[in-house]
Amino acid sequence: MSAAQERDALELRVLEALATVRDPEIPPVSITDLGIVEHVRVSEAAVEIDLLPTFAGCPALDVIREEAERAARREAGSRVVSVRFVYSPPWTSDRITPAGREALRSYGLTPPGGHDRRTFVALASLGRAEGIAPCPYCGSEDTVLESAFGPTLCRTTHFCRSCRNPFEAFKPKLPGS
Amino acid sequence: MTNDPRLTLALALADDELVLGHRHAEWTGWAPHIEEDLAFSSIAQDEMAHARLLYELIGRSDGRDVDALAFGRRPDEYRHAVLCERPNRDWGFSIARQFLYDTADAVRMEVLAESSWRELAELVGVIRLEEKYHVDHAQAWFRRLAEGPLEARQRFADGLATALAEAVAVFEPLPEEEELVSKGVLTVSSEELLALWLGQLGEALEAVSLDYVLEHHGPVGGEMVPTSTGEIEAEREALEVPGIVRRDGRWMHEGAFAGAGGRRGKHSEDFEPLWEEMTTLYREHPGATW
Repeated sequence: MSAAQERDALELRVLEALATVRDPEIPPVSITDLGIVEHVRVSEAAVEIDLLPTFAGCPALDVIREEAERAARREAGSRVVSVRFVYSPPWTSDRITPAGREALRSYGLTPPGGHDRRTFVALASLGRAEGIAPCPYCGSEDTVLESAFGPTLCRTTHFCRSCRNPFEAFKPKLPGS
Repeated sequence: MTNDPRLTLALALADDELVLGHRHAEWTGWAPHIEEDLAFSSIAQDEMAHARLLYELIGRSDGRDVDALAFGRRPDEYRHAVLCERPNRDWGFSIARQFLYDTADAVRMEVLAESSWRELAELVGVIRLEEKYHVDHAQAWFRRLAEGPLEARQRFADGLATALAEAVAVFEPLPEEEELVSKGVLTVSSEELLALWLGQLGEALEAVSLDYVLEHHGPVGGEMVPTSTGEIEAEREALEVPGIVRRDGRWMHEGAFAGAGGRRGKHSEDFEPLWEEMTTLYREHPGATW
């Protein structure tokens, strides 16, 4: 194997290792499915990983960085592993993969809507934010937004009028105004 | 500290977010209902995170530690607008201040996203995506209170009238502004930003017939006290209420800034107790991690 091939192979193994790292606030979702792994760079002596924070104030970021470092180190051999957060491009919720969306749903969190954020807000300000997030439990669209804020920075809170469960959804974070 | 004027700008932005974040956090557990406990707590958490991003940016240039920047400075070294340090008073004032600050912040962030200081522009790109939810929160409450029952509307109007003068001073230019503009760090002057914001604010208030507060607003109350010398008693200044006038169909600012001085490290009597509280851990346990 040439040096370049070896580096490519290692990059893949590191990515696979990162796919085992979970967001501690949403354990079923891996950080690769969350779309926060922006770059893995393998060089002669180092493995450098760039992550994008979901929300700047997310308290799980340090844990994620440590776990990512530990996972990469298992593959990196003698190479030095460094993990850092970068801010460009900004992370947006449309980076979550289909598998990540399914994992969110399985955890009882409605995946972030592809709906226009302005609709979301306009409805919310009128107190008529209905049907903007389907219920993760029964699938009903007969739901109402309780608040654009929730127990963590990345969640909104809702109520399902069909199965009468309160539930949470992943907060949409999309570009454009 | 180096004399890079860009760092002063970042410091002013960061201090605004840090100090107002602390005020917002005071609603945790005390807001009118649990959704608002969560809303203000989340907004506070966002603001403090944004402050941290900006302190880290400063630290990358001059080597200072984030905690030292956030909590290791004397009160007169903070560059936030006086508006941010005022106590929460009642719900009407808190919502009015949040509305005024976050709409002003949105105007300034839109411009900073185009800054020639690429690292700052990148952070602003991240910050803006989160700030949108703050503006949404403020706008939802704006409507609810302005169109609400009489007492809600009155208390909101009182809150606006109280906060307005010092909200204008969010746009008090930094002493370094000329250099920042000439280097494209700021692509638009504070004066132009203020005009933009006043235009938007005027429209929003006219839509709910509350625009009278623009012409009839009062001082926040309480004396401005300089802390630049560390002596609270020295040099008391009367509050100058800035004029906001409507000319040719446009709302304009004339004259001095009320509560001016925040950008130069001069703060009100309300800041010192807040500073003492937020820096207690850092001062009493140097080097502690948490």
